[in-house]
Amino acid sequence: MLNPILSFSVTRRMRSPKTILIVAAWLAVLLGISVLTMGSLFGRQANLYNLRSGLTCYAVLLLAQFFLLVLIAPAMTSGAIAGERERQTLELLLVTNTRPLRIVLGKAMESFAVLLLLIVCGLPVMCLPLTVGAVTLSQILAGELFLLAIAFGAVCVGILASSLSRSTVVSSVISYILLLLIGFVTALPLFAEPGEAVTNVVYDSAKLSALTPSRALSMIPPLLLVNPGYALAALLQGQLKIFSDVMQYHEMGRLLCEFRLMDRLGGQTAALISCGVITVMGAVMLLLAAAAVRGKSRAAR
Amino acid sequence: MLILDALTRDYGHFRALDGLSLEIADGQLHGFVGPNGAGKTTTMRILATLLKPTSGHATIDGVDVVKSGFEARKLIGYMPDFFGVYDALKCWEYLDFYGRCYRLSARERRRMTEQLLDLVQLADKRDAYVDSLSRGMKQRLCLARSLIHDPKLLILDEPASGMDPRARSEMKGILRTLREIGKTVLISSHILPELSEMCDSLTILDHGHLVFSGSVEALAEKMNGNAPLEIRLQEGCGESAVESAVSCLKEIPFITEILQEAPCLLRARTEGGEEESAQALRELISRGIPVCDFHRSPMNLEKVFMEVTEDA
Repeated sequence: MLNPILSFSVTRRMRSPKTILIVAAWLAVLLGISVLTMGSLFGRQANLYNLRSGLTCYAVLLLAQFFLLVLIAPAMTSGAIAGERERQTLELLLVTNTRPLRIVLGKAMESFAVLLLLIVCGLPVMCLPLTVGAVTLSQILAGELFLLAIAFGAVCVGILASSLSRSTVVSSVISYILLLLIGFVTALPLFAEPGEAVTNVVYDSAKLSALTPSRALSMIPPLLLVNPGYALAALLQGQLKIFSDVMQYHEMGRLLCEFRLMDRLGGQTAALISCGVITVMGAVMLLLAAAAVRGKSRAAR
Repeated sequence: MLILDALTRDYGHFRALDGLSLEIADGQLHGFVGPNGAGKTTTMRILATLLKPTSGHATIDGVDVVKSGFEARKLIGYMPDFFGVYDALKCWEYLDFYGRCYRLSARERRRMTEQLLDLVQLADKRDAYVDSLSRGMKQRLCLARSLIHDPKLLILDEPASGMDPRARSEMKGILRTLREIGKTVLISSHILPELSEMCDSLTILDHGHLVFSGSVEALAEKMNGNAPLEIRLQEGCGESAVESAVSCLKEIPFITEILQEAPCLLRARTEGGEEESAQALRELISRGIPVCDFHRSPMNLEKVFMEVTEDA
């Protein structure tokens, strides 16, 4: 049977006018971006210069959706468990022999479904750069996949925060703090000096070109793979090579190392691995959230 | 059969429930009465598996609510003293949702939803949004929710609080119906008269202790036995008559306490029954005291409640 929490939350969510407003606002932002970046060539013939504006459009759309999703997810999920606590309905659910994991999964899927709706609604806008041949459809779909992983990760963080808090407001605050912390902590390897093994390879063009992808992957700090920003950079580099200019400079230290390793691994592959790691971390957070629901209701006992 | 065995619950150093033992037969409408903080909600939450007792056991048809919570939850329907309703949801969807949580099949859910909406007289509100209902209607809908999986035991915590008289009487009617179809109902209130009218048996709690448990008749009997005598003397009979009446009553051994309620009204607490009261009356009249009214003042349940909880 379909998770009851999911189906009934979706019903309630879709009845709320807020949801329609969010979808409308989302599309307005995406369309605005495409007009600003590609508007100059609407109704004109494409040339090489236009092609560049198509690339910009795609990159900015991806970037904007990435940030918006991370921004919206806590708002979507804050009420998931904390709202049930506020309404005192959580106990009523637990009395029905509904397991905490089932509650958490239902709530997570529901919030994710709303974000999925936004991402799918944005797909036609994302396809605008196709018209000038700036990107391919498979690249756009890879971008969408990346957004889904980000949405899932952000939802999981939000659900975890919600399962830990008594009120919706506290839950939002906790999830924004958690998201910032995750972004910051997972970027910490960038501030450390790279090891000699890494610098030896990265600054030696012969060794670098001989580096196998799996070897390159083992050199990337695992923590960095959890960073959503890294996934985004890897995707953009893999698809558009927009950081290739940066890599010409030798004085960029750690960041440059990481870009070179990423390039050896293949940008899209790096992004895919990173997205996988984020998804797994999300699932772990859902388990933690279920444990928190169980633990908190036990604490009340 | 619901059996509570030395149920105790502490909140830190505060003992909310102190060794409560009780047996409630199937098909009873049993009332839990006590002032605020008596331990009613604590007991009900333990039975609903939402709270673990510090010590003691509770079993429903032999199923331990602490050890086999999963099985016990199938047997109980729990309605707390708050509504717990969702917005943007219709009445039937609300019931359907809880039916799904209990993993009822679509057919069972449809059948139960229609039946229960009928039972709680909300059939015409089937498609109305839950948040558009009045308090009384919400309360009834919540009652329907607690019945969706057809439990044997229904636990209702203060179902009549905040209801107007009409809503209360509707609720009473529904509870009577439930008893008729053989459900065991546990209902709490801090107002005794409200419960005594419909309950078969009562438990009076105070500060976590059991004060009384038994049928409503037994309670009335227990209380009426020592209802005070009310003796009204002739109007304007003078203080001397009152004084002699008091001294006369004081001589009678089974009268324990005499109070002067008004210039010509005395109230005497007694131990003993009809014979002793007749003797007291004879004594008063033989001394020429102008008695014009002599009776046991009937105890109303409010008084009983006050008295019983005072003793504890």
